[in-house]
Amino acid sequence: MSKIFPKNVAEAIYEATEGKSGTLLALTLHRGARMLHDKRILGKSNEILKALQNIFDKKTGTVRVKITTAKNMESRERKKIENEIKEKYKAPIVISEFFEKEELLGGMRIEVGDEVLDTSYRSKLQKLENFLRQEK
Amino acid sequence: MSNYIVESLRKEIEAFKIEIKTEKVGRVLEVFDGIAKVSGLSDIKSSEMVTFSNGEIGVALNLEEDTVGVIILGDFSKIKEGDEVKATGKILEIPVSDSILGRVVNAIGVSIDGKGTIKAGKTYPIERVAPGVVTRQGVSEPVVTGIKVIDAIIPIGRGQRELIIGDRQTGKTAIAIDAILNQKGQNMICVYVSIGQKDSKLRKLQARLEQGGSMNYTVIVSAGASEAAAMSYIAPYSGVAIAEYFMDQGKDVLIIYDDLSKHAVAYREISLLLRRPPGREAYPGDVFYLHSRLLERACRRNAKYGGGSITAFPIIETQAGDISAYIPTNVISITDGQIFLETDLFYKGIRPAINVGSSVSRVGSSAQIKAMKKVAGTLKLDLAQFRELEAFSQFGSDLDDSTKRQLERGKRAVEVLKQLQYAPVKTEHQIVTLYALTKGFMDDISVAKIKEFEAELVDYSERNAKIFYKEIKESKMWTEKGEEQLKKAIEDFKSNFVK
Repeated sequence: MSKIFPKNVAEAIYEATEGKSGTLLALTLHRGARMLHDKRILGKSNEILKALQNIFDKKTGTVRVKITTAKNMESRERKKIENEIKEKYKAPIVISEFFEKEELLGGMRIEVGDEVLDTSYRSKLQKLENFLRQEK
Repeated sequence: MSNYIVESLRKEIEAFKIEIKTEKVGRVLEVFDGIAKVSGLSDIKSSEMVTFSNGEIGVALNLEEDTVGVIILGDFSKIKEGDEVKATGKILEIPVSDSILGRVVNAIGVSIDGKGTIKAGKTYPIERVAPGVVTRQGVSEPVVTGIKVIDAIIPIGRGQRELIIGDRQTGKTAIAIDAILNQKGQNMICVYVSIGQKDSKLRKLQARLEQGGSMNYTVIVSAGASEAAAMSYIAPYSGVAIAEYFMDQGKDVLIIYDDLSKHAVAYREISLLLRRPPGREAYPGDVFYLHSRLLERACRRNAKYGGGSITAFPIIETQAGDISAYIPTNVISITDGQIFLETDLFYKGIRPAINVGSSVSRVGSSAQIKAMKKVAGTLKLDLAQFRELEAFSQFGSDLDDSTKRQLERGKRAVEVLKQLQYAPVKTEHQIVTLYALTKGFMDDISVAKIKEFEAELVDYSERNAKIFYKEIKESKMWTEKGEEQLKKAIEDFKSNFVK
């Protein structure tokens, strides 16, 4: 018997719940949870939820962004960044999370999936350090 | 002084240009035994180089649906779960330049000989598609090893791949070192790739090459026994990348892989850790490709494509003479011949312990110089017949005269082909000795005195057969006049030699 991966379970749950609502959706989800219990894969529920979120994002064209800055950003700036990302990734929905990290010193770090744009001062200083350490 | 420091620092900083671009970044999920499983890095290519946040580099080998299996080239103990991993978009490259000659480097091209960093002019990818058919040319120039039995019976040409195979302690590395030592003044660059060897052995080898003045044209690439399997895995590819750098300049290169058995074992270790399915002897399914793609990069390029050649001497260590094991059979089938060394011969005192019957050079005869071909033409057959008759004569039955003659000639041939380590013989001297042997001049010399006869004959003939020597050096062939002179010199010498 082949191994069941969290991704396979998430796909099955998505297909089973697609287009359902109300009691029917609750019943399907209940059955899904029962199946996880019976197959003894409840421990993988976090991974399954993550995979389910990925499937959902793909279907709806959602882009999740993590923006880290040294200081808190104004809502006007946040809005501007979100619009830029919307345009760049041609995404109808952008869900952004904002973080504050003093270590960055300045600038910002934007993460979309496995793509990272790092314009923080810390990373620039790190690059300068590497450059100066290089044998010439 | 402080002004000078500030000024030079300012200049350096002014030269620094920062380029901000989106990077592909992944996260370490787990690290174990030199392997990292990384999430993210969705666009990564196979064999692409990645950098870890602590500066170590790695190579992506397993591209799975959600994760990437990376081999870590360096200290993996400092890499933690959750560390950032950046894709570089480049296949692993090593720095190369002319100043690498005479140096000892590790598998990623960093010097380990304590002589400081090597100024790199260029970088060369360690994985590269072998030169195509159109760019190649047949083997026609010899690689003179200075080992009589090889140059006479198993000749090797530039661009050939000749396997050196045998049990432990039979003189495999010795043949390789002798071949390197003999390349002095032969317009050949040598690359010695040491895979999974003890550092003490490598140090000894380096000292021997330095002593013989051979390090000037040699590069040593080392992946020691104490280093990670990943280093052993990439070392031969780094070696051949260095060789390609010199070949691209139209130079001839001799590369020695010592040894590919340990290379296969390192690859097996990595493959099993990456959970690739094991096959025969637990090696992965692509272990043939591992060696074929490496050895296929040895070639002789035609003049239109810049000339140059890479001659490869892969070494394989067998267990109890079993050449039918998985890796030996693979490499035998890939190479253009093999030099087979035997423990029995070694302990009988026949050194180099080459079994002439099992050894073969499939393309080298077309590279052998005419003069050598003329004197050594029947030597292999004579030796094979001698071995057969020798076994037969053990029964002690009466033998006819011709058989006795063959046996006596065979004994002398074996004696002539014995050679001390680190004592390569010049081609012209080899020809003189073999001429004396095959024309029967040694038949009445006692076997115990053959070595003495040979040494003195070479010395005498050099002084008294100058035309012959001149012709060999210039045209690689002799005329009747040259042969006559040599014959006379041998006869004169023999009449004064105390048998």
